[in-house]
Amino acid sequence: MKNEILETKDGLFTVTVMVNGEKKELPVRNSESLLDALRRHGWKGTKKGCDTGDCGSCTVILNGRPVLGCLTPAVTAHNGEITTIEGLGSVHEPHPLQEAFVEAGAVQCGFCIPGMILSSKHLLDNNPMPTEAEIRKALDGNLCRCTGYVKQVEAVKKAAAKMARGRKK
Amino acid sequence: MTDLKPGNGMNAEELKVVNKPVRKQDALGLACGEPVFADDQEFKGLLHARLLWSPHAHARIKKIDVSAALKVPGVKAVLTYKDVPRVPHTTAGQGYPEPSPYDTYTLDNKVRYVGDRVAAVAAETLEAAQEAVSRIKVDYEVLPAVLDPFEAMKDGAPVIHDEPDSRNIPDAKRNIAAKFDFEVKNGEWFKEADHVLEHSWSIPYLQHCALEPHTSIAYFDNFGRVVLRTSTQVPFHVRRIVAQALKLPVKKIRVIKPRIGGGFGSKQEVLEDIVAALALKTRRPVKLEYTRKETFVSSRTRHPAVCRMKAGVKSDGTITDAEMEITLNTGAYGSHALTVMMCSGSHTIPMYKVKNNIRFVGRSVYTNLPVAGAYRGYGATQGFFAWECMMDMLAERIGMDPVEFRRKNYIRLGEGSPVFKAMGEGREGVEQVITSTGLFEAIQKGADEIKWAEKRAKYAKQSGPVRRGVGAACMMQGSGIPEVDMASATIKMNEDGSFNLLVGAADLGTGSDTILAQIAAEVLGVKTEDIVVTSSDTDVTPFDVGAYASSTTFISGGAAKKAAEKVRDMVLAVGAKILDKKPEELRLEGGRVVAADGASCALSEVANTSLYYYDQHQICATASHYGHTSPPPFQANFAEVEVDTETGKVRVLDYVSCVDCGTAINPQLAEGQNDGAVVNGISHTLSEEMEFSSNGTPLNASFRRYKILSAADTPPVRTFIIPTWEPNGPFGAKSVSEIGINGPLPAIANAIYAACGARLFDAPFTPDRVLAAIKKAGKR
Amino acid sequence: MKNIRYYACPSSVKDALALLNSRKYKAMALAGGTLVAKTLPDTVETYLDLKALPIKGIKLQGGNLVIGAGATFDEIDRSKVCRAWAGGIVAKAAAACSSQLVRNMATIGGNIARPHSFNIFPVVLLGLDAKVRAVSGKGSELLSLPELYAASPRLRPGANCLITEVVFPAAASKWKCEFVKLAKTDSSWESYITLFLAAEKRGGRVSKARVAVGALSPRPFLAAEAEKAILGAAGAGPAAFSAELEAVRAGEYRAAAGAALLGRFIASL
Repeated sequence: MKNEILETKDGLFTVTVMVNGEKKELPVRNSESLLDALRRHGWKGTKKGCDTGDCGSCTVILNGRPVLGCLTPAVTAHNGEITTIEGLGSVHEPHPLQEAFVEAGAVQCGFCIPGMILSSKHLLDNNPMPTEAEIRKALDGNLCRCTGYVKQVEAVKKAAAKMARGRKK
Repeated sequence: MTDLKPGNGMNAEELKVVNKPVRKQDALGLACGEPVFADDQEFKGLLHARLLWSPHAHARIKKIDVSAALKVPGVKAVLTYKDVPRVPHTTAGQGYPEPSPYDTYTLDNKVRYVGDRVAAVAAETLEAAQEAVSRIKVDYEVLPAVLDPFEAMKDGAPVIHDEPDSRNIPDAKRNIAAKFDFEVKNGEWFKEADHVLEHSWSIPYLQHCALEPHTSIAYFDNFGRVVLRTSTQVPFHVRRIVAQALKLPVKKIRVIKPRIGGGFGSKQEVLEDIVAALALKTRRPVKLEYTRKETFVSSRTRHPAVCRMKAGVKSDGTITDAEMEITLNTGAYGSHALTVMMCSGSHTIPMYKVKNNIRFVGRSVYTNLPVAGAYRGYGATQGFFAWECMMDMLAERIGMDPVEFRRKNYIRLGEGSPVFKAMGEGREGVEQVITSTGLFEAIQKGADEIKWAEKRAKYAKQSGPVRRGVGAACMMQGSGIPEVDMASATIKMNEDGSFNLLVGAADLGTGSDTILAQIAAEVLGVKTEDIVVTSSDTDVTPFDVGAYASSTTFISGGAAKKAAEKVRDMVLAVGAKILDKKPEELRLEGGRVVAADGASCALSEVANTSLYYYDQHQICATASHYGHTSPPPFQANFAEVEVDTETGKVRVLDYVSCVDCGTAINPQLAEGQNDGAVVNGISHTLSEEMEFSSNGTPLNASFRRYKILSAADTPPVRTFIIPTWEPNGPFGAKSVSEIGINGPLPAIANAIYAACGARLFDAPFTPDRVLAAIKKAGKR
Repeated sequence: MKNIRYYACPSSVKDALALLNSRKYKAMALAGGTLVAKTLPDTVETYLDLKALPIKGIKLQGGNLVIGAGATFDEIDRSKVCRAWAGGIVAKAAAACSSQLVRNMATIGGNIARPHSFNIFPVVLLGLDAKVRAVSGKGSELLSLPELYAASPRLRPGANCLITEVVFPAAASKWKCEFVKLAKTDSSWESYITLFLAAEKRGGRVSKARVAVGALSPRPFLAAEAEKAILGAAGAGPAAFSAELEAVRAGEYRAAAGAALLGRFIASL
């Protein structure tokens, strides 16, 4: 399948993607970014803060790594796997990171938070007990103007501890 | 843990909900990506708006031809100045009547900066709208532009506001958008001073950089009224100013503030008129979402400023005279021109006792550059940069420790200042004295945490190219605008003993919904979760001026408390009937009405009794609140820096900020407010500056090039809350949101000086500037 | 960008080249996309996604450090091989790229193919005498960075050829190296000056010196005068470098700071 060539029809590609564990066939515009496509199809948790790859509000996990949705042409997600913030947890069943961000007081306006949490998830998946410097480096693509990052770093530490306890059980 | 001063018969130790770090109510939904922001809802038949922005700094539109634009498939409307009412107004979302000049038009036949509005398009797709914008043909008569405020005030400078119908511009011919002079004279100037120092400090164009761009959607309800779902800090001012600009009755407009992705003052600006005009023209829902570049250029900025100070000091540390002359660049329009300028003096001058003479001279000047407006700190940022560096220089001149010097001179409990009365926001202020201060403790705590004495001594003897230093700065702000800002709250009771709290206060990420719920919960003897908060919707919630001037906790909090007290009395009256007691014998506690003898009934029983049995009524009350004073929060800031004297690179190693905000209604959220303000201030200090070409074109209007600090760039910032009890505030509270942004410029400037002997007078302290300052200091 | 009609994600270099050189597809290669995704010219009709190509490995080959062009900055930063080779200088440089999200996406190949003043790797390649493998329809060539630049327009990476790997020579692994991005903040994308410095000392004197300079022009350059001066007498390097920077109109600040950084490096040898 890797060598097939997708062609637009009426300016739209139809891409096959797994979004948050569900297989979808999504029509995407020829030059549309993954950010715009996801928002248009209802995943509003992915935010547009700059559309130039500089703020990280549009972070999604694509094929196992956090990427900038605004700099990713939507069609390149074809045959890929995407995790958006909605795929982590919900208000009914939040992910430990979502809980930790709330507990630490790390959510002010909240616009950067989905991206910040997805970057944090990737960090903790690969490095369950990161140092403060490692946390700051992993989050340095997710700009926040409200918090000064203080409580966000604290939230990631809290989540790491919580998830470690979870694994021991 | 707490060291609270008693007052008002209350003690913070008796509080059950207030002063506790309860969870921010909206945090989980935000962390889960719930669709709660302005742009997160779908509207059927939505049109997309794009604006044509001026490519010239100053020009008259001779001819504008939209015929080609209208032919682009999908285009539904193109508006120029010919299609909208010509109403001079201000975009400053301030209380009515606004003290800012009425110098702005929805669209005009003149453009005054690169990025000014020329025309607006609504189309079926964003691409079609953009295409149409590119096909509008404009014939400009390019006029000479002026970019420097000092040039703009000279005779013969281009007159930016030459239109005959603008109002409240004090001197349009000299491009002066606002002016204010003030003097206290108790003798000959500088006569008693042993030393007199004078210098100027400058701050460039700075942008708020809220992560959510300005986004507004205008649509119609089933009565044909315009509904604005918009990212605003001031929903009621949006309703009033849009009504004014488009000549609509207020009743024809509803403004809904959803969750807001940060504002910091930029969303105190009313820019919604144009999207409403497009909706009215097309009769369709229309969305206008600024791009990041547009947010930089065409929303609002901080006022760039040059502040000259001249101060005299006696050898014993008495400040004898202080003269402050500030010139703000307000850009093409005078939004907040008067008030930011006045606050640069009114928030700073009272900070220290000046024995003899005080003079303030303020000017806000039009230039052909982007429009300045409200920005967290609101003039105090510009003013304290000068003041706190000057304090450091005076202390050094007389050989006194700079912290000791400040301790000797700062305003004490019970003391007033002539400035409080003389300088309000755009008008006379109110007489007031300091009714709470924790500055002494704040300085002590900060000095201990940064190890002030030890490090000053240690860093006095250094060698090698990389040097360290510690610096300090103290400050104050206000808590709302006294006798101007007003807020209201409505509380109604539900069957299960829960309450709805309806507030016009605009939570823009600050957590105000949560702290207002805490205040109501404290009075009503319930948990914060039992208070369901709605903010803000001009159809549903009562009036509030909005989120600015550090007012929400103090003013809106006061309204929530009063409304809760009214509701408490209504609950007690019903409870008295149920328990067969007198209301005076009863109190609310743990979700119950409790009598002195232990008899009690649940709030749900009270609610059901009121709704269905006894004197049937809805337990519900509305209360309003405004302040007669504006009690200042105080703060002591300490920075430790490392300066590479060969590259000019400055690293902030530690930053301690101790803030007296009275009772922190929610200490965790208060810390978060301060952390964020401080890091924004550090970012101003080390990196931020909007740059322009010689013809006024913005050069770095992107996050990539206008660099704000990331997590990796940010030093550990440590906030300590110094509890005090402000008798005029709800449960002893005063403000916390703005003060922290004013500390880093002077604290870091002073620390750099301590490290390497170079004084920085012009922000930001980028490596090239620091190296130049070091070279200059070395030559002396 | 508005004329995009096709999307291809080939799994072999050969297939990718066939598409790139096909008249029908008018393809442009897309690696990480961080520099090009938003700015593809309207003449391009096909996104040629390189992510499935087997050009991502990082390995040691006879002492040479060989990095597949598809390796991301993050993969290079975290690679044990890169962290060990020449004191970890290549990994250190990768970590200096603006943000984690860009590091997750951007590749070393893309960073070379798309010249920009603030790109990180061209400076490093130049300083380490690295070579770039460019593969076109006519075969494969191993070129130094100056040779690659000189081969344009015959070789235009991403348009008519592909960069498949970068080879850092074994000889350089013994050098003492330093990489400095002098910027307003650590995570700035822009920088005042980007320096890659390397030297080898034999018998108490510097026998090899490299001073590669980035951020001043779309393509980095070697400061030949400074290098020559260092070989003469190490202490003479900074002054020569300062003069050289002034000569290319880098300005007083960059000249002074650049010289100071070089002086510090020489002192550390």
